[in-house]
Amino acid sequence: MFLLSICQWVDSTRLSAIVRQSNWLFSTLDTVHTLGIILVAGTIMLVDLRLLGLGLRSVPVVQLVARIVPATLGGFGLMVVSGGLLFSSEAVKMYHSPAFRIKMLLLALAGLNALIFHRTIYRDVAHWDPASAAPVPARLAGLLSLLFWIAIIAAGRAIAYAPGYDLG
Amino acid sequence: MMPLFHWLQYTPLAQTIRHSAALIALLEIIHLVGLALLVGTILMVDLSLLGLGIGRQPVSRIARELNLFTATGLTIMLASGPLILCSEAVRCYKTPAFWIKMALLAIAIAFHFTIHRRVAMAEPPAPHPDARIVAILSLTLWFGVALAGKAIAIFQPA
Repeated sequence: MFLLSICQWVDSTRLSAIVRQSNWLFSTLDTVHTLGIILVAGTIMLVDLRLLGLGLRSVPVVQLVARIVPATLGGFGLMVVSGGLLFSSEAVKMYHSPAFRIKMLLLALAGLNALIFHRTIYRDVAHWDPASAAPVPARLAGLLSLLFWIAIIAAGRAIAYAPGYDLG
Repeated sequence: MMPLFHWLQYTPLAQTIRHSAALIALLEIIHLVGLALLVGTILMVDLSLLGLGIGRQPVSRIARELNLFTATGLTIMLASGPLILCSEAVRCYKTPAFWIKMALLAIAIAFHFTIHRRVAMAEPPAPHPDARIVAILSLTLWFGVALAGKAIAIFQPA
């Protein structure tokens, strides 16, 4: 298996050993990772609530997105770097973890949802922005985003509770 | 106080949660989703207080439109938190991070519903003179609560 051999190689690196053997480092990365996800999910939820017409109704979507995206990207950066290092410390274990695979899939779907939203519906934002109610496709994107990020948090917890093989 | 925590842990409800990894995981997921909602909405209001708000939107309007969601996030956390606590009450009792979190949480909640609320809801046009310091205090307190929460899981009692 190609992916498995990559994971085996990752586990054999010095970096992997350093993270694996240091409780302090692992816990710090774990903490940064959690805070990063909370920042990403929390800021994205604001946009989702706006798209769904539930919150921040008086705020134009463009301005909300412009203001909040830097914080989202900052959180995302923290999450990816810390997540990558955590992964490197137990790559083969993650390879065998169904929860990890589901989480990666959900991340890809959340990214795809955001990409499609920005490339299609969001391009016409000038036409629908001032109205407090976003068009149905935008609401759908907001709802999907909300669900994906809740599911990503859930899958992340499941990795911790089902380390390795016994979830699937 | 220890007998209280001991009693708590041995209630049937706590024992049910304690012996189900799935239930604990579910409660932690709910707790984290509540935290995300709380952090996202408070961050938005505090950015506005720092002068990094949205266009010319007054802070009071942003705060008013988010109050319900901040309260929802807090309610989710306050409902799930004690259930997680009771499943391992004795360990929490012996973990300093737990007490630090409870102290920070009490201060953060008191601050949020008094000073923070008053400053955030101050009517325009003049921004409240203490807006920035209140925003920094609010962000620091809630960050501290989250950090201490994570620390409960990391630091096992000696």
